[in-house]
Amino acid sequence: MTILREALLVAGKDLRIEARSRVALQQIVPFGGIVLIVFAFALDPDRGLLPRVAPGLFWTAVLLASLLSITRSFSIEEANGARDGLRLSGLDGGAIFLGKAAAVALQLLLLEVVLGLGVVVLYDVSVRGVVLIACTTVVATVALAATGTVYGVLAAGLRARETLVPLLVLPAVTPVVLGGTRAFEAALAGVPSDGWPWVQLLAAFAVLAVVAGVLAFGPLLEEDS
Amino acid sequence: MNARIGVGTKLLGAAAFLSLGALAVFALVVAPPDERQGDAQRLMYVHVPAAWLAYLAFFVTAVASVLWLIPRTRSTTWDLLAGASAEIGVIFTGLALVLGSLWGRPTWGTWWEWDARVTTTAVLFFLYLGYLALRRTGATAQERGTRCAIAALIAFADVPIVHFSVTWWETLHQDATVLDPKLEVNMEGFWMPFTLVWSVFAFTMLYSFLVTVRLRLAELDEGREEKALELAIAERVAVTV
Amino acid sequence: MDDNWGYVAAGYVITIATLSAYGGWLWFRLRRARRADLDR
Repeated sequence: MTILREALLVAGKDLRIEARSRVALQQIVPFGGIVLIVFAFALDPDRGLLPRVAPGLFWTAVLLASLLSITRSFSIEEANGARDGLRLSGLDGGAIFLGKAAAVALQLLLLEVVLGLGVVVLYDVSVRGVVLIACTTVVATVALAATGTVYGVLAAGLRARETLVPLLVLPAVTPVVLGGTRAFEAALAGVPSDGWPWVQLLAAFAVLAVVAGVLAFGPLLEEDS
Repeated sequence: MNARIGVGTKLLGAAAFLSLGALAVFALVVAPPDERQGDAQRLMYVHVPAAWLAYLAFFVTAVASVLWLIPRTRSTTWDLLAGASAEIGVIFTGLALVLGSLWGRPTWGTWWEWDARVTTTAVLFFLYLGYLALRRTGATAQERGTRCAIAALIAFADVPIVHFSVTWWETLHQDATVLDPKLEVNMEGFWMPFTLVWSVFAFTMLYSFLVTVRLRLAELDEGREEKALELAIAERVAVTV
Repeated sequence: MDDNWGYVAAGYVITIATLSAYGGWLWFRLRRARRADLDR
């Protein structure tokens, strides 16, 4: 089987588990939503602050929710020795990485659509530069999912993984938050030309993260915990 | 394995201590105050070497991590060195942040600035704090070596990316140029550049000493862990026999 | 200008304190390891 077929196999498995358990839909997306609402409590909605910082708040909410997605992606491998099953399956480590990261990315994209609507409604944002926004979202999500999946397998099986994964992921993906926010700001301000360079940065980050993941996933999966 | 430190290490420690003492004299007494910053300039003589050392320490961690990952060169020593150096690196990073803040207050008027260097240093601090937390998840090098090595390399690769992205943001921003004093200090005369160079030298000696001692400590702890593991396994086997 | 010395003093004190504390911790742990060595 080719790498792509194997990756699709793994991604399909993860998405099927999600379709049955609906954890992303019923828990992670609502979590993103409540984060948006918490921001409104923490900041002053009356002084026109929220629309101005909406891009940053959006990406912060996505980032926090992605931590849940990543942890979830590997907690499903805990039961019934599923991780051993993965190791013994003969699937290529890089393929497993691509599959799991793709599944996380897809769930994040779904989350982002919902949160995007949430931001428009809750923070009174007028949408412009849709193409830039869409491209930014896709690239940033790939970067986020790939980086997160690497740390996810790194911490998989460890007792402290629920607290380790956030601590490890957040500093590492700061450029993604920076790039995503700046690109969104450019789009909403009607100056997309300011935003496209950030998309390039995000794309470079995404490529690096995917390469790192493909290389590192196999050895990390083989690690005993 | 002997817990005693060798003579060479002790000499290194003494040399480090003496050169740091000399640094204190150069930095606080001999070197003149800066024209614009006044005596606050003297903080540079500890802030700059601390930052330099942090980067050196994390570079050593990265190299040791690579050596661990390559099967032919894999050895417990590399894992322990990576951890020892990272620990020292985190301490120096924290120190650099605090000292930079103390320097910034009289110079810029604020305790903090979100420019590329300061921001990157803050992210660096947390990246390796996470690495240190990860190290505590395995008692022996065998258990933690690979995941820590990969985490260290990701962190090391991430730093220039973070720095670049914030730098880029600054250049696009372009209104933060009031902070001219933050850019390279005017090194006039002899004593200012000399003291700065001396400070880097003294701190490098300190790093060498600390990492050697910390590595020895780590080797002792590792030996104890492995013995405990062997003992536990032997006991278990004895029960089943 | 003179009140800058407060910051300088704070910086050097913190540096010395931190390095001393770390050095002391290392020394203490090594001593404990040496005692464990002798026990064996």
